[in-house]
Amino acid sequence: MAHANIRLDEDPREILGVSPDASVEMIRNAYLRKVKENPPDRAPAAFERIRDAYEVLRDPRRRARLLFFAGDPHAPLADLVPATGSARRFTGPGPWVAALREK
Amino acid sequence: MRSLVAKGKTKAAVELAKEIHKRCGRPESEALLVDAYGARIWSLQEAGLKKEAKELFELVRARHSGSSARLVHASVLVSASDGNLDGLLRPLGDPVLPVETRRAIEKFVKDEVCDLNAVAQCATLAADHPLSTAASALVKAFAAVTTGPVEEPALALPEVSHRSALASWKMLVRAVAYFYRQDDQACERCLELIDPASAPARLIPAMRTMLGAGTRKRLPPATESLVERVCGNTASLRGALQTLDSAFQTIDQVEILVAIQRATVACSLAYPELLERLRQHISVRALELQLPLRKVRAAMGGPSIKNAYFWRLLAWSEENSRKPMELLICAHWEQFRRHAVAEGWFQEKSQEAAALYLHMAGLLLDMPAEMLNNLRKSFMARFSGFEAYYEDQPPAIRAVETKGKTPDFYFLSPDELFERACSIDPHREAFDQWLNWAREEYDWQVADYVAERWHEALPHHCQPLLYLMESAENRGALNKATAFLEEVQKLDAVNPEVRRAALRLLVFRAARHLRQRKPHLVEQDLAALEALPQAQEGDRPAFLAALRWACEVIRGNTELAASLLSQIGRLLRNSDAAVLACRQAGKLGGLKQADLDQYLRQEISLDSADSLASAVARVCALVDDMGATLTIPKSWHGRLAEELAKGSGKLESRQMDLLGKAALRDNQRELAYLISARGLGMGGNTQARFLLLRARALPEWEVDRRNDCIAAVVELGRRQRDLAVIKEAVELRRALRNPMWSFFWWLDSESWHDSSMTTEEINAVLQREQRFCAFPEQQASRLRTPFGENTASLCEEELETNDEFPTLEDAAHPAAEMSPPREKRQKKDLRDFPVTEDLF
Repeated sequence: MAHANIRLDEDPREILGVSPDASVEMIRNAYLRKVKENPPDRAPAAFERIRDAYEVLRDPRRRARLLFFAGDPHAPLADLVPATGSARRFTGPGPWVAALREK
Repeated sequence: MRSLVAKGKTKAAVELAKEIHKRCGRPESEALLVDAYGARIWSLQEAGLKKEAKELFELVRARHSGSSARLVHASVLVSASDGNLDGLLRPLGDPVLPVETRRAIEKFVKDEVCDLNAVAQCATLAADHPLSTAASALVKAFAAVTTGPVEEPALALPEVSHRSALASWKMLVRAVAYFYRQDDQACERCLELIDPASAPARLIPAMRTMLGAGTRKRLPPATESLVERVCGNTASLRGALQTLDSAFQTIDQVEILVAIQRATVACSLAYPELLERLRQHISVRALELQLPLRKVRAAMGGPSIKNAYFWRLLAWSEENSRKPMELLICAHWEQFRRHAVAEGWFQEKSQEAAALYLHMAGLLLDMPAEMLNNLRKSFMARFSGFEAYYEDQPPAIRAVETKGKTPDFYFLSPDELFERACSIDPHREAFDQWLNWAREEYDWQVADYVAERWHEALPHHCQPLLYLMESAENRGALNKATAFLEEVQKLDAVNPEVRRAALRLLVFRAARHLRQRKPHLVEQDLAALEALPQAQEGDRPAFLAALRWACEVIRGNTELAASLLSQIGRLLRNSDAAVLACRQAGKLGGLKQADLDQYLRQEISLDSADSLASAVARVCALVDDMGATLTIPKSWHGRLAEELAKGSGKLESRQMDLLGKAALRDNQRELAYLISARGLGMGGNTQARFLLLRARALPEWEVDRRNDCIAAVVELGRRQRDLAVIKEAVELRRALRNPMWSFFWWLDSESWHDSSMTTEEINAVLQREQRFCAFPEQQASRLRTPFGENTASLCEEELETNDEFPTLEDAAHPAAEMSPPREKRQKKDLRDFPVTEDLF
């Protein structure tokens, strides 16, 4: 199967680091960028995951199915909350500079 | 002296240097003394004694003015400790500034300066000074990456050289940008490139904490605050959501509403960005449980947004539930489509939209056609739209709602859905699904229309032309069929399906001319047939000879007919097979029974070395190959059954399968049952086929066995990627439903959708069917799961005396009890029947 390296609970868009509304070109650019970062000779496992994720996203019909049937609607509501460290909110430079000044 | 300095004993080093200089009084000793003083000033600075350090510096500079160059580092320290950035950076404007001085200043900037803005706006630094331009660029970039997503070009920062004192800041800016992009690996790489001694390195622990890398360490207050503001504190929110999940399980309205309120409050505090999404999920759950929507809205502190995400969630949630399919699901998918197009998820006429249309069509195909028509009428009469959902929505959402117009119910018609899908995204699977549906549910005209549409959209495909040819052939429109055949041969003459179709059509034409008693035309047809390369393969020459035999019978040429019969016997190496082949050809040609009986013996040859079963199976396969169906002479059934029961004769699986179908056509279930037993005994990949035959051959009252066989067939077909056998099993299942019970069947539709079986279950079915080799004898049967305690068995004596029958309390009640109890199988994710992608 083309996407055998991706687990069922993984989102190919997250693997490539693209937004849900990414265009075909953005998906391709993201794929090329990821492949450059994870070439097959240095990171074969990661490369295959990236390749399989791209195979899913580049096929409009598979992409559509991903769009319609992503996620389990009956999954626990607690799963909506990203794991600690995954929620990343923009705060402006202030808090960052304050932390910098702290020795 | 230097050794003392290296050990940090700067005071002793100064004393020693003084002593040396007192004794020597030379420039070298003075230089040594000044170095000692420099180290002393540094140590005072490090100890926080800035005032003392400055005083000592002033003193040394005054006394040893000739060696002031050796006090560069101390001079930088003193300036910096004053917080005097202007004073620190002023010397950088001097083009003849000694290199050591420049390096000391830049090192200080690199290691200590946190306020890039101050550097950028430093009055003593020229605006075009590299440090000033670098600082300005970094200030802007840092603000940008901490405020929102930035594109890659913004991270180039050409103003900041890799040799610059601010180079580590460049890495920090990139690290922050990648961090927000969720590209943790790139972020980590940038963090590794930051000089550990530099000022930006102070943020590395915070960033690694936010990346979740390594164990969480205690951080200083401002850093901890940064982490919390960026990543949030979600522990309390998780707890509240877990409580809400538990409350939904209880289905206690009060408990649920309280939990909803607590969860939404926790969310608005800890993770306000998630609030809207949470409300949507809660709304969908509430709709599923049919909770009062106003109360839910009040508990949530506001309505949920009914955008594309909501409608998708609602539709998918309903599909994923264990309830029977409802037309409302398609209506929800339609709402999703409209909102998705409005919000830019995909275009109106995009492949995504086509995929959605196909999905909706697939949902509707799950329903029996008659039921779908009735439900559709009822739905259209009663459905008034989703206005109630939109009453508290923002204008952008309300704009998508259809107002005042008669809603278009296209989404309730598989035909219209297929039409739309195939117009937007014409491809084989979609057309194939559409054509199959049209063939099953409608007459040839509708199916022909679909095939023509297919051909128009994809003119290089053979399938639609082959279908149109077959359709014309079935109607007797031979000229049209021939025209379609010529067209498909132009596309792909070597395609096996096309070759077979050509053979079949010519046989059909020959048979028609036989029926019309036009032997001269039959001769032409036979000549054309014999010219086909595929007509010389296998046993086909024998059938052509049989057609020729039929032609000679029409001519009344007895001798030639007998000669041909012998020839066929030699070709098939069996005289019974020759008789059967000629009988079949004769029937195709419309020969009367009297003619057949005159020219062909009815008895089975007793001297045949081959078994009758082998002979009949071989002819069955041959006749099927030529596009016809075999009728087994009734007088042969007994001997055939005997041989099959004994296991005589060598039979191929395909031959047996066709023989079984021939037996069923003649309503010879026992014969078909014996054939299935033989086939199941062979094992291998054909077990699905023979289980299907078994299911068809079983008596009607063997409901459970048949259902089990069908379910096993579907699962085996799925594993073996045999779409054809799956399709036959599905059709058999649909055909078996009793219209009287269709309502109850539909309520119990959960079992019809769950066709997955474990390997153990399949093996159990196979073993049972292999064990039961004999055709089941009819017997009075007790219902395996009686209606209830009051229900009497048909066999029980009470029936004779007790005239009271149980009343059905609930229409749904019997459905559950009529079917045998079985374990809940894992429900498939998608309600549509497996398509190629799902299988493979």
